[in-house]
Amino acid sequence: MKKVLHLTLFLALVAAIAGGALAFANSLTAPIVAANALAAEKENLALIFPDASDDDFKEIAVKDSETIEKIFQVAGKGTVFKLQVSGYKEGTSFMVALDDQAKIIDYVVISNGDTQGIGTKVADASFHDALVGKNAEDELDIIAGATVSSKPVVDGIHEAGKYLLENLK
Amino acid sequence: MNRKENFTAGFIRENPVFGLYLGLCSTLAITTTLNNAIGMGVAVILVLVMSNVIISCLRKVTPSEIRIPVYIVVIATLVKIIQMLIKAYAPALDSALGVFIPLIVVNCIILGRAEAFASKNGIFDSALDGLGMGLGYTVSIIVMSALRQILATGILSFENPFDMEQVIFSFRLIPEDYIISMFSQPFGAFITFAFLAGGLAAYKNHQNAKEAKREAEAKQQAAQLAKEAK
Repeated sequence: MKKVLHLTLFLALVAAIAGGALAFANSLTAPIVAANALAAEKENLALIFPDASDDDFKEIAVKDSETIEKIFQVAGKGTVFKLQVSGYKEGTSFMVALDDQAKIIDYVVISNGDTQGIGTKVADASFHDALVGKNAEDELDIIAGATVSSKPVVDGIHEAGKYLLENLK
Repeated sequence: MNRKENFTAGFIRENPVFGLYLGLCSTLAITTTLNNAIGMGVAVILVLVMSNVIISCLRKVTPSEIRIPVYIVVIATLVKIIQMLIKAYAPALDSALGVFIPLIVVNCIILGRAEAFASKNGIFDSALDGLGMGLGYTVSIIVMSALRQILATGILSFENPFDMEQVIFSFRLIPEDYIISMFSQPFGAFITFAFLAGGLAAYKNHQNAKEAKREAEAKQQAAQLAKEAK
């Protein structure tokens, strides 16, 4: 009995010290990690609205969505949705900027992990040009031959448009 | 075994990667660029030295029944702290190494050294053992990643891990038309690993054969001397 107690207490003590050390390290690094993440987002946002200053972007919490990762409202310009959608392999991470009427202002692919030359067509200028100017609620063209990668992107844009009109009006 | 032998054991004789075949999962996965290898190597050295020191400090009070859980808690804590620091101060390195930083916890080199060395030796010797083994691991993955990077991309480059924009050096060794891109793929990793492990084994065999020959000669001489004395 005494042996069991000794073992339990020793392990509990080691775990408690470890937990304390982790909490301390986390309190030191968490603010820096958060700042880094925000800086990385702002770098991407600057691609869409190059003349907006860092303070113009306001992050809004996302409600009930699996594909929409982040929403940023840009004062007087529109709303930027950051989405991660599935694809053939790793899928696509992209940003789409919509105005108040859900018209597509810009579309930027951050990364695509699908087949080189096929799935990666979602990052091509022709796909970008076909999207920009259309309304996110309208029917949007899918890339022939790269359906598995481009359909989720189009679905994601539809979802962003719906989300904008329903929740952010 | 004296201290110097103990320290240098990790390089050739007990090289953790190519000699003992420990920690191969991360070795095969991350040795695509020199940057990854150096980042991973430094992380492993830090964890290994600190875990060896802590486990050596605790070796007299740790009940032997629960020594493995205690080692795991110590190692996991250290790895998590290192991961947080890398995330905060070298985010580019964090995204390049990804899941292989937390996987240092289950890297057999670290638990292996804790069980085989730190739990039986003093603090200073354990720190030295951790540093030696860590350096052995780092040198191994640096060699492997340099070979793979040169063969796969033709370029050997190193960027400042705290600021990826800042290139410390970068030079092309193979023209773009002659690169073998399969070396950046998993089977390229296996082939590179096999050649390096084979090379080290050949070198060790050669050394052993030389030593055996020397011993045999010494024996013969002794026998001859004994005969003459008769």
